[in-house]
Amino acid sequence: MPFREVNSKMVEATLTPGQRMFSQRGAMLAYRGEVTFTPNLTGGQGGVMSMIGRRVANEAAPLMTVEGSGTVMFGHGGHHIQVIELSGDTLCVEADRLLAFDGTLTQGTLFLGSQGGVMGMVRGQVTGQGLFTTTLQGHGAVAVMAHGGMIELPITPGRPVHVDPQAYVAHHGDVRNKLSTALGWRDMVGRGSGEAFQLELSGSGAVYVQASEEKL
Amino acid sequence: MGGPGAGGPTGSGVPFRRAAGYLRAVATFRLQGSKVLAVDLTGDTVKAKNGSMVAYDGQMAFKKLSGGGEGLRGMVTRRLTGEQMTMMEAKGQGTCFLADRASEINLVALHGDTLYVEASNLLCADGGLRTGTSFTGLRGGASGNGLFTTTLEGSGQAAIMSDGPAVVLRVSPQYPLSVDPGAYIAHQGRLQQSFQSGVTFRTFLGEGGGEAFQIRFEGDGLVYVQPSERNTVAGDV
Repeated sequence: MPFREVNSKMVEATLTPGQRMFSQRGAMLAYRGEVTFTPNLTGGQGGVMSMIGRRVANEAAPLMTVEGSGTVMFGHGGHHIQVIELSGDTLCVEADRLLAFDGTLTQGTLFLGSQGGVMGMVRGQVTGQGLFTTTLQGHGAVAVMAHGGMIELPITPGRPVHVDPQAYVAHHGDVRNKLSTALGWRDMVGRGSGEAFQLELSGSGAVYVQASEEKL
Repeated sequence: MGGPGAGGPTGSGVPFRRAAGYLRAVATFRLQGSKVLAVDLTGDTVKAKNGSMVAYDGQMAFKKLSGGGEGLRGMVTRRLTGEQMTMMEAKGQGTCFLADRASEINLVALHGDTLYVEASNLLCADGGLRTGTSFTGLRGGASGNGLFTTTLEGSGQAAIMSDGPAVVLRVSPQYPLSVDPGAYIAHQGRLQQSFQSGVTFRTFLGEGGGEAFQIRFEGDGLVYVQPSERNTVAGDV
């Protein structure tokens, strides 16, 4: 079920019976028709084991299940919202940036240390992502929040994109990321340019960057 | 030269921008949406606000410009005037994306004239523009900006930030303009500014309209005004 962007800060989703979607708890603004909202104790898909996994990984954003028939509008905190369509590939995003997503998508948790070992963990700390991130896979749409709107930068093989860790929002596709440092003596004496750490994303896919260095 | 970016090797400084037809010595500024500035660089440099890079592709190096790149004299002047500007120099080949706290960005083209802008509102400027400080007089104190402002001189492009989309107002000799000090962000051209006050006995009774002071621009030029007011002394009375 596609999301329709009402304006840059609100999305509208159309629900048909038998369809299910997940949204951040409390993010519903208005709805038409017969729609029920049930708090999702396990915080997403899967059973109790998935819930424990998410709790341990600190990726347990409070979610609710939205079912019924009608249209629902979502928005949260006045943040800009971007709808990302997935067609079989994987989106990596922080759980607290997720506004709503299709029930057909498979939700999972990814350990960042598995990509790049120790540097992967350092990266998680620098970006504020933590050691884990949420993945969504399958066919469907996701509404993601960002401060100040975001732009999509394509990543093609042989042309990596460098992103400020604080401005990084999400990425999808077959992308490898690593933390690259440009530390010099200037940074050591407190005269750095403020761009000492960058995320280097290579492969093929796209990265979403927000127009601000503020977290949500 | 390989094709534009397609499968070209990385890390060897392949000037793929050149192949795409961007053989220019000057940096090209583009707005990506209204809050992100994309700067295409082909080996040249731009000055940008410290830490404002959000993403880049290609090869880039960032270096802090101590004292705004104006040498020792500029550094001392800026320290003394309190008009401190932390800028960095971005140099390389590729596209650099700049943004700062989701502020709206406005492009300004300079053709040999001078742009007066607050250091905190300046996002990026062409490497060829000269920066300096100038005294603003009483106006600066009222607009909450301090008594000094930053000047940009030369030919090239600059990007200034505003809280909300800025309006550009033209001032001509027969049409002077008065601006709220808290909403003023920049001006360019040959303009004389004066400070005008509408303080009456009501103001002293605490019943002022909140518009006790204005900056009046006369002459020929452009004034950039943002749809939001900074907290100023003038705004309270």
